[in-house]
Amino acid sequence: CCCGTAFAQQLTISGKVTGAEDNFALPGVSVIVKGTTTGVTTGADGMYQINVPNAEATLLFRFLGYAPKEVQVGNQNVINVQLNADNKQLQEVVVTALGIERSERSLGYATQQVEGENLTLTKEQNVIGSLAGKVAGVQITGSSGASMGGTQKIKIRGVNSLNGEDEPLIVVDGTPISNANFAESAGVDYGNLAQDINPEDVESINVLKGPAASALYGIRGQYGVIMITTKKGSRGQKNITVQLNSAVSVERVGNLMPYQNMYGGGSSQTWRTLANGEKYVDMQVDESWGPKMDGTMVRQIFSFYPQDPEYGKLTPFVPHPDNIKDYYETGYNINNGVTISGGNEGTNFRLSLNDTRIEGVEPNTWLDRNNLGLSLGTDIAKNLTATANLTYAYTNAQRPGQGSEDGSRYLGQWFQRSLDLKRLENYQYPDGTYLHWNLRRSYASSGTLSNFTPLYWNNPYFEAYENTSNDRRDRLFGNVGLSYTVLEGLKVSGFIRSDMYTQSIESRTAFGGKDLPRYYVGKFQNREFNYEFLGQYNKTFGDFSLNANVGANLFDRRYTYLSQNTEGGLTAEGFYNIDASIDRPTTNSYLLRKELRSMYAMASVGYKDTYFIDASIRNDRSSALPKNNNSYWYPSVSASMVFSELIGWTPLSFGKVRVSYAQAGSDLDVYSTSATYQVGTVYSGPQTVNTLYVPDVLNNPDIKPSFAHSYEAGLDLRFLNGRLGLDLTYYKQRNKNQIIELDVSGTSGYSSAIINAGLIENKGIEAVLSATPVQTENFSWNSVFNLSRNRNKIVELYPGVDVLTHGTAYYSSTYSYLNSYSGKAYGSLIGQAYQRDEATGKILLDSNNLPLYTSATHDFGTVLPDMTGGMQNTFNYKNFSLSAMIDYQVGGQFFSRSKMLAVRTGLDPLTVEMNDNGKNVRDPLSEGGGVKVEGISAETGAEVTAYVDPQRYYGVAARRIYEDWLYDASYVKLREARLGYTFSKSEMSWLPVKSANLAIIARNPLMIWQDAPKGLDPSELSTGSQAIGWYESGQLPTVRSYGINLNVTF
Amino acid sequence: CDDFDEDINVNPNRPSDATAMQLIGNSQLSLPGLSSSPNGEFLAQYLSETQYVNASLYPVTSTSFYSLYQGPLMNLEYVLTRPELVKEKDGPAANQLAVAKIMKAYYFWHITDRWGDVPFAEALQGTENLTPKYDTQEAIYNAMFALLKEANSQIVAGSISGDIMYNGDMEKWRKLANTLRMLMALRLSEVNAAKAQEEFNQALSAGIMASNADNFIFKHQANADNQNYWYGQIDPNGLGREWWALSQTLVENMKPYNDPRLPVYGNPTRATGEYVGLPSGETKDMDTEKYSLLGNAIWKQDAPVYLVTYAEALFAKAEAAKRGWISGGETEAEANYTMAIRQSMAQWVGNAAAADAFLMEPGIAYTPANGLEQIATQRWVHLFMHGYEAWAEWRRTGYPDNLIAPNGVNVPTRQIYVETEKFNNTENYNEAVQRQFGGDDGLYGKLWWDK
Repeated sequence: CCCGTAFAQQLTISGKVTGAEDNFALPGVSVIVKGTTTGVTTGADGMYQINVPNAEATLLFRFLGYAPKEVQVGNQNVINVQLNADNKQLQEVVVTALGIERSERSLGYATQQVEGENLTLTKEQNVIGSLAGKVAGVQITGSSGASMGGTQKIKIRGVNSLNGEDEPLIVVDGTPISNANFAESAGVDYGNLAQDINPEDVESINVLKGPAASALYGIRGQYGVIMITTKKGSRGQKNITVQLNSAVSVERVGNLMPYQNMYGGGSSQTWRTLANGEKYVDMQVDESWGPKMDGTMVRQIFSFYPQDPEYGKLTPFVPHPDNIKDYYETGYNINNGVTISGGNEGTNFRLSLNDTRIEGVEPNTWLDRNNLGLSLGTDIAKNLTATANLTYAYTNAQRPGQGSEDGSRYLGQWFQRSLDLKRLENYQYPDGTYLHWNLRRSYASSGTLSNFTPLYWNNPYFEAYENTSNDRRDRLFGNVGLSYTVLEGLKVSGFIRSDMYTQSIESRTAFGGKDLPRYYVGKFQNREFNYEFLGQYNKTFGDFSLNANVGANLFDRRYTYLSQNTEGGLTAEGFYNIDASIDRPTTNSYLLRKELRSMYAMASVGYKDTYFIDASIRNDRSSALPKNNNSYWYPSVSASMVFSELIGWTPLSFGKVRVSYAQAGSDLDVYSTSATYQVGTVYSGPQTVNTLYVPDVLNNPDIKPSFAHSYEAGLDLRFLNGRLGLDLTYYKQRNKNQIIELDVSGTSGYSSAIINAGLIENKGIEAVLSATPVQTENFSWNSVFNLSRNRNKIVELYPGVDVLTHGTAYYSSTYSYLNSYSGKAYGSLIGQAYQRDEATGKILLDSNNLPLYTSATHDFGTVLPDMTGGMQNTFNYKNFSLSAMIDYQVGGQFFSRSKMLAVRTGLDPLTVEMNDNGKNVRDPLSEGGGVKVEGISAETGAEVTAYVDPQRYYGVAARRIYEDWLYDASYVKLREARLGYTFSKSEMSWLPVKSANLAIIARNPLMIWQDAPKGLDPSELSTGSQAIGWYESGQLPTVRSYGINLNVTF
Repeated sequence: CDDFDEDINVNPNRPSDATAMQLIGNSQLSLPGLSSSPNGEFLAQYLSETQYVNASLYPVTSTSFYSLYQGPLMNLEYVLTRPELVKEKDGPAANQLAVAKIMKAYYFWHITDRWGDVPFAEALQGTENLTPKYDTQEAIYNAMFALLKEANSQIVAGSISGDIMYNGDMEKWRKLANTLRMLMALRLSEVNAAKAQEEFNQALSAGIMASNADNFIFKHQANADNQNYWYGQIDPNGLGREWWALSQTLVENMKPYNDPRLPVYGNPTRATGEYVGLPSGETKDMDTEKYSLLGNAIWKQDAPVYLVTYAEALFAKAEAAKRGWISGGETEAEANYTMAIRQSMAQWVGNAAAADAFLMEPGIAYTPANGLEQIATQRWVHLFMHGYEAWAEWRRTGYPDNLIAPNGVNVPTRQIYVETEKFNNTENYNEAVQRQFGGDDGLYGKLWWDK
């Protein structure tokens, strides 16, 4: 709206904006008529021109890295302005341990903050997963999107615990919340519980990486802290803001393993025949070493089902190249959220609602989630403020299994390439019976089957639709608090913080499959309270500043579960209830109680806003520790100096050095200190005998908490008014006296003993480089690159023990291990390797020209990566904004049982390769076929070049020898991309809308490079509760997700 | 900040106390596992694999004995070293301890005969000794004789409660102790005949089993918790595995003599209704309808597991007579041999009615010239499905002499130590392997008694 009189008085002002120090032109400075929305930006030459209504108008000049400046127009037509670089912009406030807000400038240790908007770029639902690649020194190991909410594992600064349990503490608005995981290493991956945080509620995440930052968490802070601050409404805002957020994504599997399409199911290329001469597919073999898929008319599995329309018929034996791909569906991810926030002088509030619905790429899998968030703050009296932050989350899901042969995961491991999955999709006949593909052979004489119970594998669709697993979780966490400002600078506050959830899990094994029908149901309830007091004092005395805090915390946890399993089958088909158990059901009930009492104090003294010294101390008493030895102290000190204040070198806008030392600890599991027995099977025969047995794990009455000693030094540099920044950190952390379940010789009577032992050391550097290479009126490019390199070493284990086994895998009489050895890095992969000739390194062959192998003691080296990091680029052009998030890993390795089995069972293209005779390796040896084997005969010592039947060769090399199936885990991945358009005011003037943004989003669109073969994803090695991914087997396929996202603010 | 609740760190999920008989009862639950093992059946060549042929080809892999130490033996060690656990309400303390000793000796016998030297004296000490030394097999045999002797002499009147095996009947335990001692003594026939004869006779005079009612049998039950291992594997409603056929070796030793036990041991083939054995290690043409699969009576849910039997004791006596350790010569040998076969028939078939005809069969009827071989071969037929024991007797006697080398691989003469001993008990492991086998922990090392 405009009025003619005002228009007549309009003035045109022009001028140039330069930097005060160097007098260079500043492009891209925003020039606004104060109190209006009228504004322009300066051009490449720093020049601007703007219309103002009258001489009373004030121009406001703003530019990143400079102090804003206001100039009243008065009678000037040309206004040239010099802007002063603003070092105080580096006075950014960060939330540190216990929610204490500190100026970043004063911190003597590294923290790295990620803004909420960078966590929701592509609507990743798990806040832990959304940190991937964004924080130096933080490694996220994800799981496939097909798992729908699967585990996202986080490690800060390498492996710091010998038992691998070194996940950081997750704190939301000061409330520690559970990040527990109900998944096992195979089966359904229910995911880490931190995913109950609604990403849309997150204002920022600050990662406290080392004990110096987390020392105030004492016995809970050894492995760092993820401090999450949620969005709040603003005070003084007169009107209420309503935001709508909506995203729809389509999900497709990508990166499937390649399979051969020449030979079908069976164990021999010779056709099996029935008495009448009809050829048939060997349904009892779950491998693809069978005849060529050349269209021969044969009886396939469905022709053995009398109820099948093709009963008794011959059908062509042909390949189905997409049969595994066909199994997966298109998934959908629909996410809708609304937030209402606002406030007045004495109150602020924010209410958020979020609804997520996912249909998975695995058939018949889905997830629904609802989040409700409420944050309130109100002054209830002078100087007395009450706050509350509450989150409610409800999850209801039916998820697929993963891991070795779980559910449909056998598809890439044991399978007939000749199977038509589309034919199997209608897995139930009208008479209620089921179609399977893997049965015992028919009687050759009659060609009829007597037993339709599947042999090793169910029809995958039967698995998906009948053997389902469901989980539900209700969760409420948050806090209520009161704070009272006693006098200027002195504030006392009290909080009650709580995290409560009920997790239900049930699973069904249906009638008509290979397994006995079964029903399992479990209910897991956790209730954690923290009662907290905090006194804070802030005061400046001349050149000195003081920030002092004292506090106390009482932690109280009660966790119970009750789970039941039917035994011996179910009494009624389709009735899934414990009541249907034929034998006495197995029942487990469990109670855990734990308390922790803590007191702490922290003081920071600053001098001239340039020199800072911090010290903190915490005392913890844990009920899980032996009664007479349950109190421990955790100190920290740090110092920093803003040296740029002293040297006054213009291009260096800010420079700080920092050093710190700290101790933090970690607690132990409850009930680890006293001996107990375990309840054994009840013998109910002629007499009933109740049995008890001695547990395999030896508890320890003298156990102590584990300690971390951490040393850290860092340098924080910003140049050219913040256009370029570099943050460097060096750290060394020694984790002593680890509480480990040491594997001991079983001949001692125990499998493992809980002991304090070991010293594990991590050293590393972290670098964060941020830059704004281009900034003009219409275009800007911001880039943040981070890199971290960690070196891990097990300095010592236990006296007399130099190896610790973390994981054991056993398959087909062959063991493999994840071990740690003193003097080496954590997590060596151990397995059987080729026996090699010492002189030449060539492999040794037996008399059948099959490779010989070592015992399962060969050390293939550590699984830990050398380097991890990420890069985020944001380009803004006018109203468009493009963001791309890349993360990478250098080094690390894993063993792939999926790949090994695909080769062993004849699924992999390797098994139909051409050899150097130009023949298929499956062709008869007499015709030049066979796998070419070169080596040295172990018996004669002679060099051998031979051709060996592939089935026999891979029966050894892809079953007993792990060497060929170990892969480097390096990768570079485009994890997130977002192209958004912000509608300008003028485009929306007809709408009651303040702002709107429409974006195309892509999650996980591209693996730019990986060293491991196609079909394996080294960035998704997380398998449920497994602390470290080393043994890939039955990994869910990678999911690529593309969608649109609309944000509207009213 | 006072102390925490008194009981906050007391585990409410597990019992803090146990009684000796509860621990002994649990140790007894592991007994069928000494017999019900496919690997044991392959080593004795009772069964052949019809599919995924692997274990019956004797692959070079280690086998763990940890679960025997951590499980039953540790429970028994608690009973023997913690007097407070032994409650008089369950019967005389001396009897409870005697049972623990007998079972300890029995488990160690099984272990040492599979692997050779193993930790004994320093074993089962928990944190007191996490790396126990390996004792020689000779020392372990001496210790086992001592344990059984002690048990025999300490048994007093009065039964014990919570005993799965003999329902508290201490006379049966006494007979078991002496029978075990006698069978162990026989095992030393080739390495130290004098010692063997002495222990054998002492055991015999202390009183051994006198009928099949004294048999040491684990009675499985028709419920999921107490069922026969083979039922879970084979029952069509369970895993439904048709993985095991009678071996050709076994059928060759039974079918020509119309052995009445054959229809119990195996089923006729579905293809022809005949009894056909599958050669061990055969990998081609293994249609399950062409071979005799494991007999229904053997894998039924509540089929018993025969661990130590009267017939076995009689075979031992027959051999001792033949060797001249006990008096009576060939007459005594023959009497015990025929009696053993009758008892075996009664055990497996339910009656000895067909025994007379069987005992007339040429080759079965006792002939002094072939006496040792006949005794050993018939013992092997009798020990069906108790593979580890039969395999030990095969190693000692060399009978039956028609075991084959599947795919050219000979029947092993021991099992390889559990691989993790190399990590967890390195020095003692290396010492034991060096001492016995010159450093090669393989399948073909010879045990001390295996000469």
